[in-house]
Amino acid sequence: MTSGASRPAISSNPVPVPNRALRDKYAIVGTGVSRLGKVPGVSTLALTEEAIYAALNDCGLTVQDVDGLLMRGPDDIYTFHQVVGERLGINATFSTSTANGGASQILSVIMAVMAIDAGLASVVVCGYGRDAWSRTHANKDVQMRGATRAAQMESAEFGPEFGLFGAPAMHAFGARRHMHEFGTTREQFGAISLAFREFANRNPASQMRDKTLTMDDYLAANMIVEPFCLLDCSLRSDAAGAVIVTSVQRARDLKRKPVLIKGFATHNNTSGWFEGNNMTCTAAGPSSARAYEMAGLGPKDIDCAQIYDCFTYMVLVQLEDYGFCKKGEGGDFVSSGALRLDGTLPTNTSGGQLSEAHAEGMLQVVEGVRQLQGIYEKDRQAPRAETCIVSGHGGNTVCHSSLILGNAT
Amino acid sequence: MSDYTKPLPIPSPESKPFWQAARDHRLSLPKCSNCSQIRFPPSDHCSACGDATHEWVDLSGVGRVFSFVTYRRLYNKGWEGELPYIVAVVELAEGPRILSTLVGIEPEEVLCDMEVKVVFDDVTDNVSLPKFIPA
Repeated sequence: MTSGASRPAISSNPVPVPNRALRDKYAIVGTGVSRLGKVPGVSTLALTEEAIYAALNDCGLTVQDVDGLLMRGPDDIYTFHQVVGERLGINATFSTSTANGGASQILSVIMAVMAIDAGLASVVVCGYGRDAWSRTHANKDVQMRGATRAAQMESAEFGPEFGLFGAPAMHAFGARRHMHEFGTTREQFGAISLAFREFANRNPASQMRDKTLTMDDYLAANMIVEPFCLLDCSLRSDAAGAVIVTSVQRARDLKRKPVLIKGFATHNNTSGWFEGNNMTCTAAGPSSARAYEMAGLGPKDIDCAQIYDCFTYMVLVQLEDYGFCKKGEGGDFVSSGALRLDGTLPTNTSGGQLSEAHAEGMLQVVEGVRQLQGIYEKDRQAPRAETCIVSGHGGNTVCHSSLILGNAT
Repeated sequence: MSDYTKPLPIPSPESKPFWQAARDHRLSLPKCSNCSQIRFPPSDHCSACGDATHEWVDLSGVGRVFSFVTYRRLYNKGWEGELPYIVAVVELAEGPRILSTLVGIEPEEVLCDMEVKVVFDDVTDNVSLPKFIPA
C-alpha cells in the first residue's frame, strides 16, 4: 500500500524522546475565550484582545507581566504576533506566529515551555483569533468558496483544475479510505457528531447551544463532499482563545489552580497526506507515543480528552492513533458511548469545533485545563478528571501536536 | 477563445513538462536517474534519495483509485450544473499517487482500489487535463 519505490517514512536517526525532566515543571495558569460564533462587526484583533485579557484576569496577571507572545491568526495577517503585541502595548523577549494549522496552538504551548526553560521568557501568552464566520459570510462569492483565505492563496495546480476545493475533501479522502479498509460507517461518524452536540447543548457559550441533534437529523443532513455531510464538518466561528504558560514556581501565587504540563510531542507527516498510509494512520500516532513517554502515562491513565475535530473522521482516527482502541476499531469505540460524560473517555466536553466553536484547537486546550481545574457543574464536568490529553491537527492534514495535562498529585 | 470557465493549472517551472506532455496526451513524470523512483509532484530533487538528476518518462496511464470524494456542494462557479462530480487520488501503476477526477462513471459505482486508466480532456487549445475512467 506504500507509494513510490523505497521512500523512508522518517529520517534514520533514532526517534527523539522529549525531555522527561520538563515534566511537571511548567503549568497553564489561566484561560480565556472571546465571544464565540457569529460576532459581526468585531475584528480578529478585537476578539484576540478579548481572549487574552480574559486569560490574564483568570489568573490575576496583567499585560505588564507578559514577556512571551505566541500567536496564530488569519493566514493573511503578516506577523500576527507583532500586531497583537502592538494592541497590548508590550515588548516581548520571545514572540512569533505559528503556521501549522490546527497543530499550531499546542505547538505554541510547547514552544512556551521551551522558551521559558531556555531563559528566553517567563510568562507566555499562547493565543489564537480569527473572524472566520464573518469572513466566510461577507458575500455570496466567499460563502461559496467557504475559505477563510484569499482566492490567490489557493494551490496553483494539481487541485483546483480537477475541482478540489475546501478542507472537507482532503479529510474525506481519509474517511473514505478508512471506510474501505475497516468497514467504518457514516452512522459511526454521526455518533461523534451527536456526542459533541450533547456537550454543546450544556455549554451556554457554544454556537450550537440551542440546537439538539438526533441520528435521523444527521443522516438527513445535506451532503457536502461525500462521505461528509454538513454535520461531519466543524463550524465557522468568529472566535479567539488564549492560555497563559509559566513555571510551577511562578504559578503558586496566582488566582487559579495551575494545571501541570506533563507531556508533549509533535509529529508531522510532511511527506504528504497521499503518501503511504498517512490517511488512516496519522501523525497522531508517533506524536502521542512520545507525549505518553514524556508524561510517564499511557492511554489507560487518561481521564478525558479534547481531540481536534475539524471533521468527525479525524476524531475517530486520532482516537485509534492515541491508543484508546485498536487501529480499525474506532467506529465501534465511538458508537459505544465512550465519548459521553458517563463514558470511559469523555471527549470534547465543551462541544468541540463541531458544536462549540472553531478556534483551530485553542478552545480544546482551554477546555482541557478547565476540566482539570474542576470548574464546571456536574452536567459538564468529567468525573474524577485528573489527566487530560489534548490534540492539535492540521497544516493541511499532516501536522500534529499532543499535550498531556494533569493535576498535581 | 474558449468559453471554459473552470480554473486552469498554473504550472511551476518544475511541473511545466508534465503539462506539456499532457497536451500531447502523454502522462509523464520525473524518474530519478539514481534510484529510479518516479515522483509526484515534480521537483528538482528526488524525494526518495535526494539526487538532482532525472529524466521525464511516459507512464502506462493505468492505476487504481486509492480514495475518492463526491462533491455535492458547489465551491466554484465553473462546476455549476455539473454536480455531483468525483475527485480522486489515483495510485499509478508506477507508484506515485496523483490527484485527478473520475469521469464516465456514477459516484455510486466507484470503489476504492478499482482499476482506472487515463484519458485526456482538451479543455482549451493549450491545456489538456489527465482524467481517469474505469479500466
